[in-house]
Amino acid sequence: MKRLIGIASWFFPSLTGLCCLLILAMVVIILGDIALHGVQRLSWEFVTAEPRVGMTEGGIFPAIFGTVLLVILMTIAVVPLGVATAIYLHEYARQQSKIVHLVRLALQNLAGVPSIVFGLFGLGFFVAFLGSGIDAVVFGGRLTYAQPCVLWASLTLAVLTLPTVVVATEEALRAVPRNYREAAYAMGATRWQVVRRVVLPQSVGGMLTGAILAISRGAGEVAPIMFTGAAYYLPYLPKKLNDQFMELGYHIYVMTTQSPDVEATKPILYSTVLVLLLVTFALNFTAIIIRSRIRRKLRST
Amino acid sequence: MTPLIEVRNYSAWYGTQPALGDISLDIHEGEILAVIGPAGGGKTTFLRGLNRMNDLDPGFRASGSIRLHGVELLGKDIDVAVLRRHLGMVFAVPVPFPVSVYQNLAFGPRLNGHTRDVEALAEKSLKAAYLWDEVKDRLRQSALNLSGGQQQRLCLARTLMLEPAVLLLDEPCSGLDPISTAKIEEALRELKKELTVVLVTNNVMQASRVADRTAFFLQGKLIEAGTTQQIFMNPSETMTHEYISGRFG
Repeated sequence: MKRLIGIASWFFPSLTGLCCLLILAMVVIILGDIALHGVQRLSWEFVTAEPRVGMTEGGIFPAIFGTVLLVILMTIAVVPLGVATAIYLHEYARQQSKIVHLVRLALQNLAGVPSIVFGLFGLGFFVAFLGSGIDAVVFGGRLTYAQPCVLWASLTLAVLTLPTVVVATEEALRAVPRNYREAAYAMGATRWQVVRRVVLPQSVGGMLTGAILAISRGAGEVAPIMFTGAAYYLPYLPKKLNDQFMELGYHIYVMTTQSPDVEATKPILYSTVLVLLLVTFALNFTAIIIRSRIRRKLRST
Repeated sequence: MTPLIEVRNYSAWYGTQPALGDISLDIHEGEILAVIGPAGGGKTTFLRGLNRMNDLDPGFRASGSIRLHGVELLGKDIDVAVLRRHLGMVFAVPVPFPVSVYQNLAFGPRLNGHTRDVEALAEKSLKAAYLWDEVKDRLRQSALNLSGGQQQRLCLARTLMLEPAVLLLDEPCSGLDPISTAKIEEALRELKKELTVVLVTNNVMQASRVADRTAFFLQGKLIEAGTTQQIFMNPSETMTHEYISGRFG
């Protein structure tokens, strides 16, 4: 018995340590491989120029621009909607009510839907239904919004990331101590005043964490935007909400599967992957900086 | 003299669980009424019934009547937000908001849209809570940097900012050191010149030190109420006598 415990006391710590090493190794190998190969083609021209010669030459600027635009539009759409939903669910709705139960069930299911289904949903709902509706009512039947474009792609991504934002926001709201709410109520605050002056300032950090998670998820998704707005190749940048756009993830997919000369695009592919990682990181980093700014502001006032 | 608050046949339930049964009690203007009794006896439920904080509990139900200046407080048309400004409350655990001392004090006035004269009122409230000397140079610092006793006095001052007619205190000294407790008791003796105090306390000695009258609650019933002297020296119920002399509780 004693011997068994002796063996266990070094075996299990070593096993868990090994698991950690394995994870570390995977990250290092993946990132290292991408960085090593990607850096070779990386140049100023690569990130500022358009693709040329069947994407074997030139740069990927339209895809970088499109990715950033897509993620920003998505964030503008998903954060207010997700935060408002979470505030209603957690602060206003009666917790036993059927509606709340249904909304929660819907959110949980939404989180489990494969992303390609979101793409099809976006095509069916936003492009075919909403888009045609807008064209018929506003533009007199002229084809304007009933086509894949950056607006519909970003809204599709917003639907995809909505559960993330709602769950993170609810978590943040739950973390506000009940004591604070009671103290505010006891001073004659109305429900809205409690939410506005006590709960929201306390939970804004957690809400932005939700936004950051949404950005991380959204920036890397390809399937939802394939049918809803991402273009194979565009010689110009999107200028209007109903323009199509190039996107890094989709660009990578296209170059891997559709390129006539796979060997020739390989260095470009590596560099594009590296740029995608850097752009995602930069977007995340921006959100983290905004969060810490807001937190500092709240603490000082 | 008509009492300030008349509680008549007040009963309360949490779900199907009865919490208070048929309480009738008068609270007079300018007095300190102590509510004593063992834990789970309904003291806090009674106190939170007065400013209708219990309404926040989804399963809570109450019947009977509570009148303040003759106005029925349990009516459906009563604006509880306004009511709670008239009956200010201090909780057992100090709950300063994680902002500056001054912003804690300004919270109540800002709810009502008052922004003038807040500084003068803040000084007055802090003095009334026996805290002014300790924090007058730290008004812009976080309230979380104060000690526990200071935090509780800040909460008292924050409630006084509402200029309430009645002060409801729910075991306000339960976690405090003797010096902070003494300061709060001193503050209450001064405050009763201007307002009425209902003090729920687990500390029988505290009731005997500060209260004009004392009410004894046991298992959701009001056993008896009377002047503090009468309750402590010559209670009519043996239960009261046994509780006060420390035989149970």
